[in-house]
Amino acid sequence: MTAVTVVFAALGLVTLVSAFLVVTSDQIVHAALWLVVTLGALAALYVLLAAELVAWVQVLIYVGSVVVLLLFALMLTRAPTGSGSATATANQPLAGVVAAAVTVALGAVMWAGFGGEVIDEDAIRIGTAERLGDAVFRTWVLPFEVLSVVLLAALVGAIVLTRRGDR
Amino acid sequence: MPLMLPLTVSCGLFGLGLYAVLARRHAVMVLLGVELMLNAVNLNLVAFDTWWADTLHTGQSLTLFVIALAAAEIGLGLAIVLVMFRTVGSADVDGQARLPDVLPDGGDEL
Amino acid sequence: MRRRESAPAVAITALLALCAAVVAFPRLGERTGPYGEPAGIRTTLVDGGDLLGVSVTFFVDHLSAVMLLLAAGVGLLVQIYSVAYLAGDARYRAYTTIIQLFLVAMATVVVADNLWMLLVGWEVMGLCSYLLISHHWELGPARAGAVKAFLLTRIGDLGLLVAIFAIGQTFGTYEISEVLSAMASPDAPDGLTWIGLLLVLAVVGKSAQFPLHTWLADAMPGPTPISALIHAATMVAAGVFLVARLYPVLAASAVTMTVLAVIACVTMLLAAMFALTSHDLKRVLAWSTVSQLAYMFAALSVGGYDAGIDHLLSHGAFKALLFLAAGSVAHAVGSTALAELGGLRAVMPWTFATATIGFAALAGVVPTVGFFSKDAVIEAAWHGIGHDAPVAPVVAALVLVVGLVTAVVTVAYAFRTWWKVFFAADPAAAARLAEARSATGRSYEAPPLMVGPLVVLAAASILLSLAMPLHPLTGLVTTVLVAAAGWFTWQTMAAGRDPADLLGPARRAFDRELAMDVAYDRAGTAARGAGDVVVATDRDILGFYPRATAWVAVTLSKGFTKAQSGNAQTYVTVLAVGALLLAGLVVVR
Repeated sequence: MTAVTVVFAALGLVTLVSAFLVVTSDQIVHAALWLVVTLGALAALYVLLAAELVAWVQVLIYVGSVVVLLLFALMLTRAPTGSGSATATANQPLAGVVAAAVTVALGAVMWAGFGGEVIDEDAIRIGTAERLGDAVFRTWVLPFEVLSVVLLAALVGAIVLTRRGDR
Repeated sequence: MPLMLPLTVSCGLFGLGLYAVLARRHAVMVLLGVELMLNAVNLNLVAFDTWWADTLHTGQSLTLFVIALAAAEIGLGLAIVLVMFRTVGSADVDGQARLPDVLPDGGDEL
Repeated sequence: MRRRESAPAVAITALLALCAAVVAFPRLGERTGPYGEPAGIRTTLVDGGDLLGVSVTFFVDHLSAVMLLLAAGVGLLVQIYSVAYLAGDARYRAYTTIIQLFLVAMATVVVADNLWMLLVGWEVMGLCSYLLISHHWELGPARAGAVKAFLLTRIGDLGLLVAIFAIGQTFGTYEISEVLSAMASPDAPDGLTWIGLLLVLAVVGKSAQFPLHTWLADAMPGPTPISALIHAATMVAAGVFLVARLYPVLAASAVTMTVLAVIACVTMLLAAMFALTSHDLKRVLAWSTVSQLAYMFAALSVGGYDAGIDHLLSHGAFKALLFLAAGSVAHAVGSTALAELGGLRAVMPWTFATATIGFAALAGVVPTVGFFSKDAVIEAAWHGIGHDAPVAPVVAALVLVVGLVTAVVTVAYAFRTWWKVFFAADPAAAARLAEARSATGRSYEAPPLMVGPLVVLAAASILLSLAMPLHPLTGLVTTVLVAAAGWFTWQTMAAGRDPADLLGPARRAFDRELAMDVAYDRAGTAARGAGDVVVATDRDILGFYPRATAWVAVTLSKGFTKAQSGNAQTYVTVLAVGALLLAGLVVVR
């Protein structure tokens, strides 16, 4: 068991615990802040998996913009954000069972498929910006362009949706 | 490092996200659940990319795309929540007006 | 004004009669009897094919020709007569149009080869008789009589409808000529009793035989020329025609013919008794029609096919004559009640003379047509005892005896009516008549347009004798009987007594015509009870299944409604469970 494994396990535990706190928190702002912890820990996991660029993007986009956007939206809606503002619905017990079942099923599938596999730390290729840029702008340039159109459409859609005035 | 380690974390994240989608009342919390599920997928992609030592970095490239899509999704989702709050007055996903009973008791008119 | 309105009506009817004559005359006289390959002209206008079975096809033979000429002739005379009789009537135009429709319908019945076409004509006749009987619809009895006629004939129509279905099922065709061919072939189908009985039901309704006999007498509030039309040529004659047309089908079953014979015997005597006890001229004539129709059925049932048709023809002539004469009387006096009539011999000489011939024919007095045709019926019954008749000898003997007795009763009521109408037994009535005559100064005798048809029909009542067969022995017997009955009745009348009083205490029952209407009411009540049972069955037993089906569907729908809650989370949960199940399935397999 290498040090990387130990650190990964510890950070994975942090991720899961903070994610649990996200989904069970009864205050929406707390949930958003716990989400920051989860996403940050995930970025650390990416680093451990030698995905350098992805980790930075995770921090920049998710922690930096998505969560901020989320908090922004909460403020814009002026919805109650205090204690009890994010209670669960009557669907909760069934949801718990279904989510647990899905987790177990996914885990079982993963175990069945990749149970004994090990990541060879010596053969790892580090996902630097250079290599990923190479891949994205050579091999995956067409999906990249399509994605830019999707982003533009989402941008326009969000503006149209939230625009006030006579529709 | 065993491959199952990141995969297990990913499964747990996905289950938690699904729970949030299914059980939480506030629409923003539902969106948070969706984000968690997307991140679980991302973790999977990165883990497999690393395990395979892919020279094309397919997994990591796709992860970047997913992150971009997630950003777009959360932008749109929050816009919808905003409109919903404006229109309905709350952001509860189960607070919609129940569909009316369109069926009569039936059978007696025959 | 009246002339301008009536001229087209008469012209159209004359045209119809001319067409009928053109069609009928070439076929006249080809008597081939009921059995064997049908001898007649078959014309197809529209072939419905095997799919529908409804074709527009015509079949004209001797029988059709006789019926056509009778209907057209009487119809034309009635139309001419009505010009004067209904002068000033507000609904004259509708009246004449319906008469024309009536004639067309009768023509359809007698020349139709397709049974469905026959049914159409048959039903249209029922409608026309309803409309014409209720011509004076402001009078309650006219309305009631029309409704009664319609409903009672409807019972018979139902029999005809089912009989047509059965014929189509048995013979595989709805063409009368093909049915007759099938009956003439060696491999004729058997088991025709039910078809025969259904046909008997049809003619019992249409021809007012027992037990559906009351409608004809109650139809008397209609205009008198209409009575002549219905009784002589069209409506009731259609029943006799149907039996004659499908004679082999009916004669194939002894049961059917026995039933027909018994019905005819009962009707014959009963109707004659009603005629004897009746207080109204038109009612006497109506009951005599029922009685004479029964003669025809009796003749047909014992195998006297030609006798039946001959009597139909002769009865058509003299009954039309009698009704038109009664119309003249009603026109002059304004009433047909026997008590208000009397002594008309002097004031209405033409009517008296023609009506005398008519009554003589009804009674069967020697030179008239009634004598010959009634003799033919008696002879047919006598012949049927010893020979190969469709019925047992006992039944033929019954027909013979009842026929003779009825002939006697017929003489009695004919003489009684004739005497009461034309000879004033009551001096007060005669005085009243003379006073009215001198006061108004107008003639009692009917106008020429009414007398003309009377004379024509009177001539026909005598001249048609030339076409009738003569049976010397039965002729002698009936002549003796007629003479004896006539002399006896005259003696009774001369003694100032009503022959009807000879019935004694039974007279009272006959006055009410044996209260058949009460029986009808009872039958109606019973039918309504049966209907209630059917309704209850339908509602509570048959209806249970659709109701239960609906209940199950609605209950299931309510369950599904719960699924359509509008809650997106529930949907997603179900989606996740479904995905899990699918994954589980993949693993298990």
